[in-house]
Amino acid sequence: MNADSPPLVLRIAVVSAALSVLLILSALLALVFGSTDTVIEALFALFRGAEKADPMAQTILWQIRFPRVLMAVLVGAALSLGGLVFQALLRNPLAEPYILGVSGGSAVGAIFGILLGFSRFPGVSLTAFAGSMATLALVLVLSSGQSILKKDSLLLAGVMVNAFCSAVITFLISLTQDARLHNIIYWLMGDLGQAGMQQVGLLAAMLVPCFVLFFALSHPMNLLLMGKETAQTMGVNIRVVTLVLLVATSFMVSATVANCGLLGFVGLVMPHLLRLLVGPDHRVLVPACALGGGAFMVLCDLLARVLPRQGEMPVGVITAMIGAPLFIYLLKRSGSDANRR
Amino acid sequence: MRILPVIVFFFSIAMPITSPLAGTQAFVDQLGREVMVPEHPERIVALAPSITEIVFALNAEDRLAGVTRFSDYPEAAHRIPKVGSYVHLDLEKIVSLAPDLCIAVKDGNPIGVIRRLEAVGIPVYAVDPRDIDSVIDTIVELGRIVDARPRAEALAADLRRRVDQVRSKAGKAPRKPKVFFQIGIAPIVSVGTETFIHELIELAGGKNLAAGSTPYPRFSREQVLAMAPEIFIITSMARGQTFKRVKSEWEQWPSMPAAKNGRILLVDSNLFDRSSPRLVDGLEELARIIHPEIFGEAP
Amino acid sequence: MQTVVDIKGLSHFYGSFQALRELSFSVPKECFFIVIGPNGSGKTTLLKTLAGIAAPASGAVSILGRPIGGYTRKGLAKRLAFVPQLPSEDFPFRVRDIVLMGRSPHLGVLGLDRETDRGIARQAMEFTGVESFAARRLDQLSGGERQRVFIARAICQEPEILLLDEPTAALDLAHQVRIMDLMERLKKDRGVTVIMVSHDVNLAAMYADRLLLMGEGAMVSIGSPAKVLTYEVLEKTYGCPLLVDESPLGGVPRVTLVPRRYMDSDRVPLPPDRLDDSD
Repeated sequence: MNADSPPLVLRIAVVSAALSVLLILSALLALVFGSTDTVIEALFALFRGAEKADPMAQTILWQIRFPRVLMAVLVGAALSLGGLVFQALLRNPLAEPYILGVSGGSAVGAIFGILLGFSRFPGVSLTAFAGSMATLALVLVLSSGQSILKKDSLLLAGVMVNAFCSAVITFLISLTQDARLHNIIYWLMGDLGQAGMQQVGLLAAMLVPCFVLFFALSHPMNLLLMGKETAQTMGVNIRVVTLVLLVATSFMVSATVANCGLLGFVGLVMPHLLRLLVGPDHRVLVPACALGGGAFMVLCDLLARVLPRQGEMPVGVITAMIGAPLFIYLLKRSGSDANRR
Repeated sequence: MRILPVIVFFFSIAMPITSPLAGTQAFVDQLGREVMVPEHPERIVALAPSITEIVFALNAEDRLAGVTRFSDYPEAAHRIPKVGSYVHLDLEKIVSLAPDLCIAVKDGNPIGVIRRLEAVGIPVYAVDPRDIDSVIDTIVELGRIVDARPRAEALAADLRRRVDQVRSKAGKAPRKPKVFFQIGIAPIVSVGTETFIHELIELAGGKNLAAGSTPYPRFSREQVLAMAPEIFIITSMARGQTFKRVKSEWEQWPSMPAAKNGRILLVDSNLFDRSSPRLVDGLEELARIIHPEIFGEAP
Repeated sequence: MQTVVDIKGLSHFYGSFQALRELSFSVPKECFFIVIGPNGSGKTTLLKTLAGIAAPASGAVSILGRPIGGYTRKGLAKRLAFVPQLPSEDFPFRVRDIVLMGRSPHLGVLGLDRETDRGIARQAMEFTGVESFAARRLDQLSGGERQRVFIARAICQEPEILLLDEPTAALDLAHQVRIMDLMERLKKDRGVTVIMVSHDVNLAAMYADRLLLMGEGAMVSIGSPAKVLTYEVLEKTYGCPLLVDESPLGGVPRVTLVPRRYMDSDRVPLPPDRLDDSD
């Protein structure tokens, strides 16, 4: 029966290996290319026989680009996984990591931090994180009247909280006239270049346990898709699993957004893209989203840094410009799949 | 195969660009931080357009290695490599220029970037001038920092003389006309007490109608008309056509003294929001506008 | 005789609405137990309570001699499997993966299956006759085929009790019989106790060892089909005139609906005491 489908462990291994290679290649590209040519020149100089690498190139490579690439990997992985888990939890293909109020809350928190004059780290990232945790609590309270298991109540509460936060954000922006307005706008657009190795290390410490947790719960996530009642009768403790997934994902996305602002599209598009490539089994999808999402983010950030002649584009623009057409293509593709019975 | 150097390259440990050298001295910047500045900085990066203007004014532009994107004065600044905008600095670009000194402004430069520059060993000297006197003091201070002291002191003396002249002459005027200074078109935004412009208006012998604790207060059209401004100044955030349109919109209210007397004027915003020597040019222009009978007509 | 399910004084509320009223009964081992009754009589609520999905407000539910609350989720899942009424169409997995998921209660953390599990899944698919579309997805199958896939999945749990919620509701005639025959075979070949909710009284009569008739949340009658399916009780419970006679197959009761036109005419001879049409 399963002769034509390779065993699960093999599939996980092959997919992970392939995406790891992609990730490493992307990272190498991103380390070598950037807004200055010094690193490339230093590499060529080495090839031509220079004794040691130019110290300035080293500085740029390790102190500026390396943390940035690591940040991109973490952010891409976290956002993709956030989208994947919410799509399974809410059984809604349009779910993305910000859908339960995380984006609204963290933006409001970040803006308060910026207006109070805090620096990005730790001040603004702390206020952003606090803001998103507050909106998570609010969403849980709002939807607790009905059972937490009712996916629509969670969704609606999240949408309303986000809408309210949008209004607050617009209000706060309208009040600001000075240079802090720029800071707010840049935070909202999303920015991977602000963090140093310390922040990256802290973020990794917060995120990697979440990745592991999701992998451990990937089989229950498969069963969840069958409907919560049926999943229960197959041995899944729905209350606990739902709560754990919800809190862990919100925590992961909040920590991510607190560090880099609101980067869109990755969390929506990557799960669908990878589902098309590797199938719907979450045991394969979780590592795939982590590795593939990370590679995608690294590449988008690279393009954001090298495409414009002056300065850099906001990376959120690149993720949207690539993500949106990709998403539409996927929609059409899956539509034609369904017609091809 | 040359692969080994590549591997060595990628596994080499980063070193800071500069280590504490002989030939540096410690200064305390305007934020109270101690900064080790080279005795004669050769590669300066100005992290705001106002700093660029000051460095040029100190005749030290040949030692300027990088400026921010909107450093447009003087003309020669266009040819200097750009390091992003002052609110969104390109860290990599700055580092690649191998500066031995960066000069930052508190209002605008992200403190995170400043910290990362210092973490790779680049000294950053921050200034925070709040009024015209402290701008002139800053020029003197920066003159010391970049080793252009004589020029700085001469410039400062000249600027102080001009300011005092305006102050004393305007002080002799019998009354202070009511001035409305519009910096935002839609919504209508003016300037409160905590701004450069307010100080300039008052020094030039005018009364800033928007004085108050809000730095950038907003007004509705009615509120402006009710204040009956005698002089209406619009900054060149709105150039050319837009200025004409805004001016004609205000001229539709002949009850407003400024409209009745044709005293609606446009000024170059860069003279008024950069903490640079041109602030004094702006002061003199305001004086001409507010008290033409004392200072001569504005061109 | 051993009982696999024991219910005592079971009540359930949806808000202030009482869905189940003090139910007490037992289901013997290897019994084909069918629950019938009009809509809203609480049949599905009862089934969900047995499956452990709905928590009773009061009363005791015992599965295989132990209170249902004493089982872990996985423990219960190894003994009891549930087939929902309308299996979702957009479940993205292929048939063989869905059936294999039925092994979950017996598997570890990642649900990694072994050769034995794959063998059990194969058997289950053969048993229900779905092995020929093992590689297809759910939206490529008909309603009856989907139902059989989900039954195969339930069989993989190797349960002692199988619960089904109106499995034949949306199916064509051939599939209705096929599913019911499948249940009978399960009972005979594998000793599984089948507890089913059905809307089709005749199908229930034809296959059930024991019938439970429910009305407005309470037990109306329980016992063999012949005992339960009398026209007085049925008419009262369902609230419409019915004709009950014996089926030529096996002598089980056969229930026929009575169209209005037969009430007024004398085309079909009715017993004289049935001639009042007060409705």
